[in-house]
Amino acid sequence: MFNRAVWHQAWGDQKILLAAIVSLWAAFPWLYLWLQSQVPMGDFQMILKLIPEDWQKLSGVPIADVATPVGRVALAFVDPMIVLGATVWGVTRGSDIVSGPLERGTLEMVLAAPVRRTAVYATHAAATIIGGAIACGVLLASIWTAVAFGPWAGKVDPSLFTPAVLNVLGLMTCMAGLAGLVSAAGSHRSHAIGIMCGFYVVSLLAKLVGRMSDRFEAVGWLSVFNAFEPQRLVAGTAESWWLLARYDAILVGIGLSAFVAGAIIFARRDLPAPL
Amino acid sequence: MLVSTDRLTKRYGRFTALDACTLTVPRGEIFGLLGPNGAGKTTLLRLLLGFLAPTSGTGTVASHDCATESLAVRSRVAYLPGEARLFRRMTGKEVLAFFARLRPACSLDQATRVADRLGLDTSRQVTRMSTGMRQKLALCAVMATDAELVILDEPTANLDPTARAEVLDIVREANAIGRTVIFSSHVLSEVEEACDRVVIMRAGSPVFEQSIAEIRRGHRITARLAEPFAGIPTLLADHVALVPGAAENDSRNRVVLEAAESLAPLLGWLATLPVIEMAIEPIGLTAVYDRFHRGG
Repeated sequence: MFNRAVWHQAWGDQKILLAAIVSLWAAFPWLYLWLQSQVPMGDFQMILKLIPEDWQKLSGVPIADVATPVGRVALAFVDPMIVLGATVWGVTRGSDIVSGPLERGTLEMVLAAPVRRTAVYATHAAATIIGGAIACGVLLASIWTAVAFGPWAGKVDPSLFTPAVLNVLGLMTCMAGLAGLVSAAGSHRSHAIGIMCGFYVVSLLAKLVGRMSDRFEAVGWLSVFNAFEPQRLVAGTAESWWLLARYDAILVGIGLSAFVAGAIIFARRDLPAPL
Repeated sequence: MLVSTDRLTKRYGRFTALDACTLTVPRGEIFGLLGPNGAGKTTLLRLLLGFLAPTSGTGTVASHDCATESLAVRSRVAYLPGEARLFRRMTGKEVLAFFARLRPACSLDQATRVADRLGLDTSRQVTRMSTGMRQKLALCAVMATDAELVILDEPTANLDPTARAEVLDIVREANAIGRTVIFSSHVLSEVEEACDRVVIMRAGSPVFEQSIAEIRRGHRITARLAEPFAGIPTLLADHVALVPGAAENDSRNRVVLEAAESLAPLLGWLATLPVIEMAIEPIGLTAVYDRFHRGG
């Protein structure tokens, strides 16, 4: 199922990106909380009141919930640092499973050995998911320590953010699986990245359109970002965990299904000579 | 037969890359595969390795079907691609260690020995290696296996003459310990020097197949006559033939003939021709190749 040599190679390939995302996510919660603490709660509530009512729908949670220490920490999860970090990891690593090494020409020397294509694919997919889990582990640890020892020490329960971090991992898995599927069918990594960027933008727009207008609510359901709402998962109730289970079932389900479909396509397709 | 193909065909839409290719490679042979770019050599090799699915026909290696038993095929094959590309972030040593881990029957010691022999500095990062060094590194990884079939697609491309000679020696040594080698190349002199038998491909099909020994026995006779050429006597028709398409044959007083075997039966007849000048030379692979790819 997995190949040890390919496993080592995959980690060698992804270690720099992983180090970059881990560094970013280790520092970000501390910086974010420090910046948030510079704005007193009263002023923050004033700012929120200035936001037009229609725009408030975009937050996904009642504005009153946002104007609490927990709500303000939770907003960190929809910051581009987290969303883009998760997407970049998923798309970059997923797109490098087949079309990347195929384009670089390194795949054919690997596949000339008695190694199953599905083993190569599954090993890269597993390394991508585990790399994502490590990044999320660091994010969780950083959130915990920043909340426990940062400017709002004692005001917020750090354990409330575990479901939100798991939702980020769900998004990473989803993006990696879809990128892996596109990569398995193509011969150029840049095409896979381009398609995934398009998918990201369309998904984001679909969610926004669905949120902004009741008439187009159905459009919103076409977006995978409907299952990425970490800011709604910080209530600390059983419902948060159920909601997480639903969201991650969708995201991880899409991701793993895409990985399986990609493995099948890769196992059956022709491998052209590298250009 | 170690390798056998039966009407193996690969089409991409209307384009036929390999057209009903039927050939066999016996065990223990160094088998040369010749042809210009686009003749179907690499397509044939990729079909044998299972990288491509055939449109029709079959190919087998050690009785394993290349399309349906690719894993079994690849466990018996070591393959050097035409332009081997390796992991650029790794050092040469790391690349060799990677392939030793990837392939149970691959020996890191053997790879290192080949690298030393080729004068390759394996401590250097692949990205800092020249094209020739990368080619040598890939060859080290390939020759470190004990695969019974070694497929080399233009193994000496980008190598200097010393390294080329060394590579040919390594190929011959691999063959001497019982390995079968498929040697695809554009360099006719190398194929002639290293191979036991050769197939020339044209437009996706094998158009000529002969042992190098037989090719060496043949002779080409180029003559300018005082009178128009009267044709080959019926009695000698089995021994000598006009070279089809040779430019000299356009002029009635110039003629190019090829004798496949000994010249002895022809000497009496040649002496009777009204010869102004005549050259007799061994045919060699170049002349055979030119017959199919340069009109003779």
